[in-house]
Amino acid sequence: MGYKHEIGLKDADDEKLMQISREYGLALSIDEMKKVRDYFLGKKRNPTDVELQSIGQAWSEHCCYKSSKSILKEFVFGIDNKRVISREDAGVVSFDEQYAYSLRIESHNHPSAVEPYGGAATGIGGIVRDILCMGCQPVALVDPLFFGNLNLKYKELPKGVKHPKYLFSCVVSGIRDYWNRIGIPTVSGCVYFDKNYVGNPLVNVGCVGIGKKSNITKSAVKKPDDLFVLVGGKTGRDGIHGVTFASEILTEKSEDESRGSVQIGDPIMKEPLIHACLECVEKKLLNGMKDLGGGGLSCVVGEMALAAGFGAEVKLDRVPLKEKGLNPWEIWVSESQERMMLAVDKKNLEKVLDIFKLWGIPATVVGKVIPETIVRLFYNGVKIFDMELDFLTEGPVYCRNRVVKKRKRKKEKIPDELRNYNRILLKILSSSNICSKEWVIRQYDHEVRGSTVIKPLQGKINSVTHGDASVIKPLEDSFKGLALSVSSNPYFTSVNPLNGGKSVIDKVCRNLVSVGARPDSLTDCLNFGNPEKPNVMGDFYESVKGMGEICSYLNLPIPSGNVSFYNETEKGSIPPTPVVLGVGIVDDIRKVVTVDLKKEGNPLYLIGETSDEMGGSAYYHLVGGYSNNVPDVGKRLLKKSMSSLLNAIKKAYVAACHDISDGGLAVCISEMCIGGNIGSILDMSGINNLRTDIKLFSESNTRWVAEVKKDYEKKFRDEMKNVKISRIGEVGGENLIIKDKKELINLPISRIKKEWKKTLWEMMG
Amino acid sequence: MEKNIVGDDGMKTSDIKVCILRIEGTNCEQEMYYSFKRLGAKPELVHLKQLIKNKNLFDYQCFMIPGGFSTGDYVRAGAIFAALIKSRLSKEIKKFVEEGCPVGGICNGFQVLVELGLLPGFDKKMNVEAVLTINDSNRFECRPTLLRNENNGNSVFTSKIKKNRILMIPSAHAEGKFLFQKDREEKYLQKLIDNDQIVFRYVNEDGEYAGYPWNPNGSFYNIAGICNPEGNVFGMMPHPERVFYRYQHPDWTRTNLKTLDGDGKIVFESLLEYIRRRF
Repeated sequence: MGYKHEIGLKDADDEKLMQISREYGLALSIDEMKKVRDYFLGKKRNPTDVELQSIGQAWSEHCCYKSSKSILKEFVFGIDNKRVISREDAGVVSFDEQYAYSLRIESHNHPSAVEPYGGAATGIGGIVRDILCMGCQPVALVDPLFFGNLNLKYKELPKGVKHPKYLFSCVVSGIRDYWNRIGIPTVSGCVYFDKNYVGNPLVNVGCVGIGKKSNITKSAVKKPDDLFVLVGGKTGRDGIHGVTFASEILTEKSEDESRGSVQIGDPIMKEPLIHACLECVEKKLLNGMKDLGGGGLSCVVGEMALAAGFGAEVKLDRVPLKEKGLNPWEIWVSESQERMMLAVDKKNLEKVLDIFKLWGIPATVVGKVIPETIVRLFYNGVKIFDMELDFLTEGPVYCRNRVVKKRKRKKEKIPDELRNYNRILLKILSSSNICSKEWVIRQYDHEVRGSTVIKPLQGKINSVTHGDASVIKPLEDSFKGLALSVSSNPYFTSVNPLNGGKSVIDKVCRNLVSVGARPDSLTDCLNFGNPEKPNVMGDFYESVKGMGEICSYLNLPIPSGNVSFYNETEKGSIPPTPVVLGVGIVDDIRKVVTVDLKKEGNPLYLIGETSDEMGGSAYYHLVGGYSNNVPDVGKRLLKKSMSSLLNAIKKAYVAACHDISDGGLAVCISEMCIGGNIGSILDMSGINNLRTDIKLFSESNTRWVAEVKKDYEKKFRDEMKNVKISRIGEVGGENLIIKDKKELINLPISRIKKEWKKTLWEMMG
Repeated sequence: MEKNIVGDDGMKTSDIKVCILRIEGTNCEQEMYYSFKRLGAKPELVHLKQLIKNKNLFDYQCFMIPGGFSTGDYVRAGAIFAALIKSRLSKEIKKFVEEGCPVGGICNGFQVLVELGLLPGFDKKMNVEAVLTINDSNRFECRPTLLRNENNGNSVFTSKIKKNRILMIPSAHAEGKFLFQKDREEKYLQKLIDNDQIVFRYVNEDGEYAGYPWNPNGSFYNIAGICNPEGNVFGMMPHPERVFYRYQHPDWTRTNLKTLDGDGKIVFESLLEYIRRRF
């Protein structure tokens, strides 16, 4: 049966246009709707519903980055680096002569807010397909998560919002049940709790893959008459309007209205899909491959064709469906999971279909490439779509109004110096943002594939601590490794987005260097509120500028990333939350270093300069202090420190190393003691003339604590001569003892460990 | 590399063909493949469909079922995979086992062997006599575990490991708690002991039988791995293929990397040695 449904735009006035935009769930503005009307006036006809839906998808914030593009261009896209091989669905960067690695991070925030279990699970589905479609084997996953505070009282919970404890528990289960099943290790991440995420949690997911350079696959077709082969799961009503849903703020009605936007994942389709796609890649049977993500078929077909300068004809009735009765526009925009689009030369078709048949995966020819840059859709022989790709994919680009928020320099509130340092240290260690995340980490398989040589938890068996970065050995015949680490600091970015942006980069570099990895590239997920609000755009601008400044200086490319706007409820926006996944290169994994203290008698060194810059610190947050003074980054110092410390690690002078971040030096050394199950004695009097609490809890950037092998102490000092270092103590005993003229802290490691470990277990069970 | 080592008058390692069975959701096959390949044998990843249609189990000297979540494991772990195998390959596998060919299952593979009734295998009729059920913690957990070899020489998968040696082999599962039916517990345990079927038991750093987290799932009698009465069918929950090399251990940076050998390697070495002698 033929099908054609026209929508009367021709004579529509402004009011009618907006009504249409709302009625069809397009989330387009009045100016955008006018542009659409004018286009069809030029064609002397009305659009069909399929065409209109397609435009809604293609022009959504989620798909075309209309608010962020110009800013990203200014600060981030420009970082040129000849190591970068590709910047498509994922970034691809050279690993060694023969191999490249790929990386990407993205958000799955809105789906996870309304359907946390499925939202989190399918988040990873999309990111894995992004890596896969570059022709790479996914080798590691990461999951930065942000929730409201777990102890939120139920009566304080806004209407229509799920309790953070419920969200946290479901998201972790969703990740566990899906990610563990697809057999890719989850090796890094972070969990952050703050009241400003109550209505709008953030679930970011990142993936890194490895592939032969000669197998890197384009997200494009090659030539006219190439066939579009849709492989993987069937298409259903789940995940319709996912991208337009992601381009609006969340309201109390979001669950009822948008639950259908959340896709349903099927890891047991995904796992063999990976095998089958990679087998096609290895046998050189594909001309191109791209995953079906936001916008479904409507985005993938046009983008693959246009990337090669061609167009496409698709027969929508050929698409295998989960259920009968889907309208053509639903088939066209559905975001059902576990699907990939292949561009295949006719002569290879049979071989490709055979591979998918072995794995029991549907594979169907749905269309072909045509020479002109037009997309035409047919449904049971009736043409229901005929549009120029230039118009469809050239979404609007905005230079949104932005105000760099003149944050009222809130009055500084400097807390009194403490009397009982033991108590405050234990309080910080047990606070939800610093405490042990073992409860989460153990639920993820972090070593399936057998290539995780440095795990997320490091130290003596069953006395482990958080590592700075995990290390993967991706190739059987090489000792070269990939280090992965995630960084973000919403406390910093909300007080000062510029310094916060710089600090995020400093932190990820510190983490990578800690294990002995040279930072090589980054991928970022920029989570912000409503971009139509000038101060949100201001925060965005400042954060990106800060990140870009440090990355440019270090020549650290960001070949892929994701912007997530509209993380906002009626109660307000989330804190500006740029998240970065950093990838570092380890030349020989046998030389990496972990966080846990190793040996009694080894000296401990503080690397870097400590200053009175307590803005956004965990310590002030906990004792109710406030300062506008968020740590800045000295980029020259950062570069110099990285290179000296990397040399010291390479030459095996360093037994353990940990970066100083949330909670400052005191937390850093506590974590090192926990991992080694051994104490230390520290004396702070050598550090510059600062208040004791600042010495202990300042979060100044570009700092580490290193345990140096006793016999190499002199060599270590020589190696580090261009960087400020101070010998602050020694490893040994069963207690952590810290003095600053007088004794401030004296606690058994067993006690420290207990306080640090208990929080999440007590809250989550 | 131990290529082409010949047993007393047996076959060459490089001639040993190992069938590593896979299905949708198997996900530890790659590291198992490498474990055999690194020792010079010829492993092959074989899909269940291929084994049913166009491959012959008897072309291989060894049959291995790796870890993962076969077909999703949405019902009891290993149950569906076992049912698929049972319905199409029951006879072949029974014969394979009776001829003394080694059959091994790691993690999900162990679950499958128990569901198939090949382990503990008291009655030889492929009846299910035990179960690997949900961890006491009621969740998936990935953690290092210490195992003591308590086998007296019956198991062909551990023949090279000294009795009472403690190995670090990590666990990663949600359903690893080994149990017998309550009213047969004592009787069956006695059988395991009498037949020398107990292979690995969870212990703590001091070598004592300890509770959680050293025993990660609450397994009866701290059982981590067992073999059949004949010693040629073997299953264990922890993953030896994940610690083939020392640098795959969770705490290797605490030691000198004097040897690259990880604690799991010897399991594969034992197995290959048995095959070299046997064939």
